[in-house]
Amino acid sequence: MSYHFGRGWSKLTPYLLLLPGLLFYFLIALGPSIATAFYSFTDATGIRNAPVHWIGFDNYREFLFMGRASLDNLEALKRTLIFSAAVTIIQFALGLFVALIVNQNLKGANIFRTIYFMPVILGVVIQGLMWSLFLYPLGGPAAKLLSLLGLRSEFLGGPPAQAFAWVIFIQIWANMGITMMIFLAGLQTIPAELYEAARIDGANAWQLFANVTWPLLTPSVNTNLLLNIIGSLQAWQLFLVLVGYRNGTQVLGYLIYATGFGQTSGSVTSSFRQGYAAAASIVLFLLVLVIGMTVQYVLQRREERILG
Amino acid sequence: MSKKMFSFLSLLVAFATLLAACASPSTPTAAPAGGESAPAQPAGKVTLRVLVHQNPPMVAFMEEFNKKFQEKHPNIVVDMSVVNANDLSTVSQTRLSANDIDVLDIFGFSNAAQPYMKQVDPPNWQQLIEAGLLMDLTGQDFLKYYDQSALQDAGSYNGKVYAVNLGRVSYSGIYYNKKLFEQYNLKVPTTWPELVTACETFKAAGIPCMTAGGKDGWPIFVGAYGLIGSIYPDQAALVEGLWTGKIKWNDEKSLEMWRKMQVYARDMMEEGASGIAGDAAPGRFASGAVAMFPGGTWYAPAIEAAQPDFDWGYIPFPGSDNPEDNKYLFGKYDQGWAIAANTPHREAALLYLAEFSEPANYQAFVNAVGFIPTQPTAQLNTKIGAEVAPYLANFRVGYEQYWVAPKGAGQFANPWASYFKPFGTDDDPKALADKVQADLQAGLDAVNK
Repeated sequence: MSYHFGRGWSKLTPYLLLLPGLLFYFLIALGPSIATAFYSFTDATGIRNAPVHWIGFDNYREFLFMGRASLDNLEALKRTLIFSAAVTIIQFALGLFVALIVNQNLKGANIFRTIYFMPVILGVVIQGLMWSLFLYPLGGPAAKLLSLLGLRSEFLGGPPAQAFAWVIFIQIWANMGITMMIFLAGLQTIPAELYEAARIDGANAWQLFANVTWPLLTPSVNTNLLLNIIGSLQAWQLFLVLVGYRNGTQVLGYLIYATGFGQTSGSVTSSFRQGYAAAASIVLFLLVLVIGMTVQYVLQRREERILG
Repeated sequence: MSKKMFSFLSLLVAFATLLAACASPSTPTAAPAGGESAPAQPAGKVTLRVLVHQNPPMVAFMEEFNKKFQEKHPNIVVDMSVVNANDLSTVSQTRLSANDIDVLDIFGFSNAAQPYMKQVDPPNWQQLIEAGLLMDLTGQDFLKYYDQSALQDAGSYNGKVYAVNLGRVSYSGIYYNKKLFEQYNLKVPTTWPELVTACETFKAAGIPCMTAGGKDGWPIFVGAYGLIGSIYPDQAALVEGLWTGKIKWNDEKSLEMWRKMQVYARDMMEEGASGIAGDAAPGRFASGAVAMFPGGTWYAPAIEAAQPDFDWGYIPFPGSDNPEDNKYLFGKYDQGWAIAANTPHREAALLYLAEFSEPANYQAFVNAVGFIPTQPTAQLNTKIGAEVAPYLANFRVGYEQYWVAPKGAGQFANPWASYFKPFGTDDDPKALADKVQADLQAGLDAVNK
């Protein structure tokens, strides 16, 4: 293979071209991540000029082992896993199902694709505001529907498990469009001849899906699973917008935000604890890393097995 | 480790250190010394960045004040940002750190560590002062207009003034609809049994008893702070008792509080209150749809603005069976002004505060927001002023201003009515009391180890 950038100093051209992007990546992604790891061993407050002291593993010890607050943190960790599992499974299945439907040669399929994708383009605040209005318990549309059945609910302001379930639902509503689009792109790469040949061999609809569509969708399946898992493990904005800091609803991502910016477990008003929040972030990062790497390993093996 | 890998890791660590160095301190910037008098006019054209929290009557007043200020000082443009009260401390911290603010709204200093508290972090206002981010206002001429006690209690640290507090508010009272009370021949409640009877009467007539802006979370439990106060009138002693173990959230006296809180959350608060936004609740009460509204005095202007002819009154929360225990109002020092120590517009910022502090302007502010004034010459001549006047001698700083949770305390370590259904999951006062005490005790045990 010939080298396109010449000889001598010219060889450096590709590296020079890569340099701005690399620096940008360092500046906005890798650098702050490393700084977060550093701060997790300090008592940093996030306030400029405030002294920063090295305190070793104290933040980790407090987060994981100190009093009932650490049990609350572990509860948030558990809730994060439940949230991630529920969102991933439902969003994945629903996205696939909708993609299969809108991939049919139906009249108005493009309109449906647009409608299903539309929530993705709305910001989290808009999504939250829309659903807060829809779920307004004093005469909002959902309350009126329930009242027709003689029922009522506080919706997002009700018991924490109920509020949590609503956030799962809204997270899926907000992001299902991306899952659908990735599946749709995958479906459109499957050659029509394969379906024709399978039909000639007498395959029914289920056999077509199981033996043609599903295996050939493997790259889309992998992409969607990874995106859904990582995205849902890190989710926190919808919790902030929809339910705020409420006992029994926090996931780890939101707990980190609340801790870093002045709301801590059991306290009415408190101080800024960004070192402690950084330690919690590292715990979340490790969780995402372990789950993400494991899932990626399993999916890669599966892809190699199916597609060779 | 290969040479390449070592070089790469070295680069990463160097970069991280560089970032850390950017954020960590060299030498704290010293706040300008006090001992000054009237502020001077800024020399050139200035844009003064002001931060306030969302409180509709206050924001409306500030917009009007800013307009007049700009007319008087054409070389100063006021750029005012408004944030939700829940976000004020976060936004203050980030904008102060970024040198992106000149004048900021700051709540009265509270939650300072007491000698009996162990391993507690300093409150955020103290962190900001110690980092040299708030200007020392000591000696400024306009301070003379304010109560020395207010300056001392709500804006001073280590003998220096860092914030000018603009007023006290009560958060432990209840607004009531006078017409509805007359219509149903009900006496304005002065005891808990009378309050229960009034609510039962309204509910039987199909009128919800109470409302609150539950969507913001805190209005539900803050609405019951008067109930805590009627049972523990000395709230500083309550906090000390909780820290030292002399008072427990599950002792007999506290159980009475929890039982009443359950009635408040389950039976008195209207269904759907959890969906009402904090700044929508006064309007709902003013519409006459509900009989009562437990809330702070700062809501009064919003009630008046929503329905100017609406006839309402304001009473201390009658949480005790004994009317003598129900004569206290609990509250806090509310909004104040501080100036960023590193502001490039020092003269303009001082001028802004000086102008605001002029007695006529301050009086207009108090009239607009309903604060109990911190300028001794100001009159409490608003409707809410007349309502709270009989109780002012019994005004006390409340639990929320004293409480600091021990590290390791669980998330239920507070006396919050919102733990009860339908806002929370609990429906057994004894079980909840045990849970709250256990969450608090876990923190006390952890810091006493």
